[in-house]
Amino acid sequence: MQLVETLINGCLLGGLYGLIGLGLSINFGTMRVVHLAHGDLIVLAAYFLVVVLVPAGVPPLAAAVVVVPVLFGVGWALQRFIVGHSLGRRLDPGLGRGVLPPLIVTFGLSIVLQNLMLHYATADARTLQSSLASAGVAIGGITIPTVRLVDFAIGLACLGLLLLILGRTALGRALRATSDDLDTARLLGIDPRRMYAVAAGISAATGGVAGVLLAATSTFYPSTGSEVLLVAFEVVVVGGLGSLVGTFLGGLLLASSQLLGAHFLGPSYALLTGHVVVLGVLVFRPQGFLPRTAP
Amino acid sequence: VTAARGHRWPRAAIAAVLVIALAACPAWGGDGARTTLIMFAYYAALAQMWNLLAGYAGLVTFGQQLFLGLGGYTLAVGCERLGLGIWPAFALAAVVAGALAVPVGALTFRLKGGYFAVGSWLVAEVFRLSVGNSAYLGNASGMFIRPARSVDPWVVYYLAVGLLVALVALVVAMLRSRAGIALMAIRDAEDAAAGLGVNVWRVKLLAFVVAAAGTGLVAALITVQTPFIQPNAAFSIQWSAAASFMAVVGGLGTVEGPLVGAAVYVVLQDKLGAIGEIHLIVLGTISVIVMLVAPRGIAGFVRDRFGWTLFPVTRRPPRAAASTPRSRGI
Repeated sequence: MQLVETLINGCLLGGLYGLIGLGLSINFGTMRVVHLAHGDLIVLAAYFLVVVLVPAGVPPLAAAVVVVPVLFGVGWALQRFIVGHSLGRRLDPGLGRGVLPPLIVTFGLSIVLQNLMLHYATADARTLQSSLASAGVAIGGITIPTVRLVDFAIGLACLGLLLLILGRTALGRALRATSDDLDTARLLGIDPRRMYAVAAGISAATGGVAGVLLAATSTFYPSTGSEVLLVAFEVVVVGGLGSLVGTFLGGLLLASSQLLGAHFLGPSYALLTGHVVVLGVLVFRPQGFLPRTAP
Repeated sequence: VTAARGHRWPRAAIAAVLVIALAACPAWGGDGARTTLIMFAYYAALAQMWNLLAGYAGLVTFGQQLFLGLGGYTLAVGCERLGLGIWPAFALAAVVAGALAVPVGALTFRLKGGYFAVGSWLVAEVFRLSVGNSAYLGNASGMFIRPARSVDPWVVYYLAVGLLVALVALVVAMLRSRAGIALMAIRDAEDAAAGLGVNVWRVKLLAFVVAAAGTGLVAALITVQTPFIQPNAAFSIQWSAAASFMAVVGGLGTVEGPLVGAAVYVVLQDKLGAIGEIHLIVLGTISVIVMLVAPRGIAGFVRDRFGWTLFPVTRRPPRAAASTPRSRGI
């Protein structure tokens, strides 16, 4: 019975993990940049909620609604004014400058963000105090924390919304065209710089949602961003690069492995079990579970 | 392509003066100079190894702390658990780090670009958490290396400087060999290099193993000096952050760059070290600005502007082909 409870909890927490991975996936899918500050943007959203908005008297639910557009703006601006410039001549036809500059720039941003949060918000553990955190739903002898149900539901809703935006709207078409063939997209009047900034904004907005859920689900520190980035990376690799649904399912697998590891080996093995499962996937199925089949 | 010859005499003279000054440090410097130079030497060696990967092999990694931790723990286990004596354990650190780089490389090379960078970080995390859960290795509280306390600090100094000189010489020799041409070809155009018959996987693995062994030796040296090791510090991402900062600011893809970068890093640490997070905010900001404004770093700027290089590792195309467009770095 306890095992069933662990598995259900794993799948539900997986909704949050999947959401964390979606942001990284969108960034990489559009501009082939692994955004190393993605985890720190999520933690920034959590701090913005817990340290700025809630103490100012904004009710948690309204505050959560404010965080998402603000994070969209942060992601958009970082891309437009900083990360975009590291792509350099990649935006000029013909010449690529490799993966190195955006990696160094986003890694630098990660260090700056983490230490700014450490400086202004101290190293104290934080969490969102709400009635949600302690509530539980009892189903046939199993108690499930309500907050995990919320994690899963919102994660799934975000996945649906993203699939809708990318698959059914003009904006989504433009984003996919930019990703597939930069030069042709440009010929058809799409401005790649604008598309990249929008993609980074959407990615950071999903990070805003993830940050709110993170704050409601667990405690966090300024350094949590590195852990969150690794979660995002693992989820994307397990799921298969380029597939949003795969990324989301990767979240379920990772969270379940972590909780099962904690269940059988003890809490200090949770992270390690997750890492080992991901490396196992990399050994036996390096393309992930749902790799993108289109070229 | 032929290796650039340039002005041999000034270069040799500069190198000779530097080596003599460093060797004679006990005569002109006190404990302060010694500590600073030891720190400079191991940071420069660390950055040199990172630059071999990121600047020459096209392998941007944030997982070099894996080999720092491995080297340090090999020394600790050799001294404290196996009774090897400090110097055999020191040599073993290079062997263990280099040997483990083979399976780690085989696994992480399946990931490309940015995913390789994070994947190698993930492997380092696996080792950090495993060591933290191992009672044999002292769990999270770590190990003391008692024999290291009786080592004369000047011995550490000569080892550090000797190690730096040896690693720089190794990198220069490697870059001037066939493997060096292959490395730069892979960095500039991996598919084209493969098309011309370069065994991309093997050449990358060679660079990865050399960098791992060098980094393992640096770690053993740091651990002799400390003499204490703890998983969260030894396998910390901060090592990769420091290495990438030094290589980027000094000049990626140049042998001089990591040396210049390490000097900048040591000076900055001296000026800002007391306040941890401010120090890191400054370092992060500098590396972002350098990457955006002068992506070839200080040494790259000097080379582009004045044509000065200390180490003859750049190559020029033969004269007949000079009219064809040439890519950078060859």
